[in-house]
Amino acid sequence: MKSNRIIQYLVMTALTLFLGVFLLLPVFTVIQVGCDWGLIVEAFRSQVYLEGLLNSLKIAVVTTILVALISLPLALIYDRFDFPGKEFCSLAMLVPMILPPFVGALGFQQLLGHYGVFNSILAALGFERMDFLGGSGTFWSVCFIEALHLYPIFYLNSVTALGNIDPALNESAANMGASRWRRFVSITLPMMRPGLLAGGSIVLVWSFTELGTPLMFGYTRVAPVQIFNGLNELETNPLPYTLVLIMLAVSAGLYLVSRLALGGNSSAVSAKGTIGGSAVRLRSWKRFLPLVPFVVVSLLAVLPHLALIGVAFGKSYYNTILPHGFTLQHFDNALSNALVLPSIGNSLRYSSLAMLIAVAIGVVVALASVRWKLRGSVVLDLLAMLPLAVPGVVIAFGFLGMTVKFAWAGALFDPVENPLWLLSIAYAVRRIPYVVRSVGSGLEQTPEELELAARNMGAGSWQTLRRITVPMVAANLLVGGLFAFSFSMLEVSDSLILAQKSEFFPITKALFELSQILGSGPSSASAFGVWAMCFLAMTLITAGILMGKRIGSIFKF
Amino acid sequence: MGTVKLSNICKSFTPGVPVLNNLNLEIKSGELFFLLGPSGCGKSTLLRILSGLTAPDSGSICFDGVEVKDLPPEKRQAAMVFQNYALWPLMTVYENVAFGLKIRKLPANEIKKRVMEALEMVHLADCAKRRTPQLSGGQQQRVALARALAVNPPLLLLDEPLSNLDARLRDAMREEISAICSQRGFTALYVTHDRQEALSMADRMAVMKDGVIRQLGTPRELYEHPADRFTAEFLGDINFIPGEVKDGVFSTGFGKFPVAGDFSGNHTAAIRPERIGFVPANASGDGIFEAELVSGSYMGDCCNWMCRVGDFCLNVREFAPEDRKIGDKVKLCFVPGRLMILE
Repeated sequence: MKSNRIIQYLVMTALTLFLGVFLLLPVFTVIQVGCDWGLIVEAFRSQVYLEGLLNSLKIAVVTTILVALISLPLALIYDRFDFPGKEFCSLAMLVPMILPPFVGALGFQQLLGHYGVFNSILAALGFERMDFLGGSGTFWSVCFIEALHLYPIFYLNSVTALGNIDPALNESAANMGASRWRRFVSITLPMMRPGLLAGGSIVLVWSFTELGTPLMFGYTRVAPVQIFNGLNELETNPLPYTLVLIMLAVSAGLYLVSRLALGGNSSAVSAKGTIGGSAVRLRSWKRFLPLVPFVVVSLLAVLPHLALIGVAFGKSYYNTILPHGFTLQHFDNALSNALVLPSIGNSLRYSSLAMLIAVAIGVVVALASVRWKLRGSVVLDLLAMLPLAVPGVVIAFGFLGMTVKFAWAGALFDPVENPLWLLSIAYAVRRIPYVVRSVGSGLEQTPEELELAARNMGAGSWQTLRRITVPMVAANLLVGGLFAFSFSMLEVSDSLILAQKSEFFPITKALFELSQILGSGPSSASAFGVWAMCFLAMTLITAGILMGKRIGSIFKF
Repeated sequence: MGTVKLSNICKSFTPGVPVLNNLNLEIKSGELFFLLGPSGCGKSTLLRILSGLTAPDSGSICFDGVEVKDLPPEKRQAAMVFQNYALWPLMTVYENVAFGLKIRKLPANEIKKRVMEALEMVHLADCAKRRTPQLSGGQQQRVALARALAVNPPLLLLDEPLSNLDARLRDAMREEISAICSQRGFTALYVTHDRQEALSMADRMAVMKDGVIRQLGTPRELYEHPADRFTAEFLGDINFIPGEVKDGVFSTGFGKFPVAGDFSGNHTAAIRPERIGFVPANASGDGIFEAELVSGSYMGDCCNWMCRVGDFCLNVREFAPEDRKIGDKVKLCFVPGRLMILE
């Protein structure tokens, strides 16, 4: 037993070191390079950068509010009612997670552009065309697309929080004479608060640092895009580092304020419901009513991507409601572009390696915090969850800075000549939280007695891990791995910033470059995007079959 | 208030499996009424129907003659003490108790007065500022009681409120609840599966099984004159003796005993263990019979003996027990008038 402990501590220390080098060191590099008072003052004095920062903050706040408005009512309906198709709804709520928002942005432009679908409908009905995307329209489009991408995170956390409230707490309030609204405000909402803040803080940070969506909309006056555009002159102008540092500080601030300051005394709310399920089943046709909002929201979420499919297959999709004729020409065009085929191979390589790294680390972190309960495993757990609060641009710039600063990092991670390890580790580090959550929830649902029984029968700790523990959580492991893989395939920030030579471009960067080609660019990019989405849909379906309803536990923080 | 009248209440959660089957019940004003039954007999469902948390499939519920079946729980004015307390963890003890009063929009000083009054009643005035998860089970239970009492409810509903407490605290709380209910004149419905609780506290009680009330009356009536085997057994240990009744005399293998009632033919007679007495070894006469001690479990204030009479075993409870030995031959008799014939 004692030697086991020592091995466990060794493994834990090794992991902490790994995360220290590949997560903390990049962050410190950014802090070190970017922390130049002159530059910080310059950034805040500059009208352009200040505006970019404020716009990002505005996007974050508006997106988070939109997300809450979309998902809280859905969560309440899900918790309160039993209705046909409820299981399907819980899976449908996950779909936006695999619809890459920056691809959705392409479809959104098709929907709302001057000669897009809505304006065609307006014109057909005899109304004036409206300029949806001009003026502040871009801002709202970005918020809208991001909200439609991120609501599942908030939704899942809300549903879990609601499910953990003992129904008797609401019943006793009703018994004391509290009306439905009063019960919601004084009992349900306060009890949900930790879950809401957990989901909200992630959405807030995520949308604050999102690069792909504003980039696709050509909305340049936001901090992440400004940082990205400053990349070309990085050697002469270190200002992007300072901007990244400011973003990091703001993200960390947002995260801390929303989770720690407002989320206090969450420990008091651990009481699990003793009476399971107080869901109401409506009678006759009314039982289908709860389904309606789910269908509406899901449709809204997939609408941009449906438009994208239209663009991808349509012979011409200009100034019409539906595309004109169908063709595979755009797929041909996409494939004939020199960037596309290599990028698929590149992404597959980067993402597979990233998946392996994320799974290996995630499993051990989950084991350490759920099973081993070592002293100090809290630190490891915190480190592994840190990527949720650290923006992708920060890590990308950190790696970039490391390659310049440290000779060993420059040799291992040459962004110009061989970005394989650079991109794989950058992808992996930010996917670890999902693997930890997925495997952790599996471990928590597997009684420890099963392992103890194996030990009791004479199995050693390694044998027990291999023969009992791993098979029991195999589905969770696979799902965590699948998600690590597919999110890596869709990763934007690291891909755009770290892949510098066209022969090493991953899919997302190729997609972006493709979309920038005048004329046929957007339709080829759409075709390519559709292909990528089908690929991801397959992963989600596989994951859904493997894990069933529990799949949502990956996104609960 | 208030009288409670339930008429023809039916409820089933799965079609064809009734939880409550055409149930009728009347509770008088100011009465502490007990519903006693094994788990799953429908007693908690009945309580939830009264509080409005569960809707009956059919039937009528009247408080003081007014139909309340369609009122939502928040309009029922029937304060309930939940089995698992259901205290709000994010509020302090004070806030928990004050909640119902705030809803009723009482003035602030009145709220304060009544909260402290209720907390004093359950001896928790010192804990007012603490959060409920910090309290022990017994304290939480008393907060739940105070919360229900503070609103001065016309009807108080108690759902096994003492089931999670240890024996000593339970005894203390029994007396306290009885005292509070009689002082304040609450009409109260108390649900439990603990017969001691029901027998010691109830003004009247009903024994339930499978969604039906088997018998209703005062504790003494039910204990002394159970209507059927189930009620008899559920309220306490009892001996069932097969035999034959003819002309007011019950004949069994070990003797003939006079019984009341107009019975004849094969019947089961019943007698509680404490109604069988030891008589001196030299005594003889009608109704005295010999037995052998097979086993005994010593309880301090009493001893439960298993006595063999021929090929039959009787359970005998001896208070202030003598020092007897297993295998001793003893003489027993039934306390006159305590042998009853079950229908």
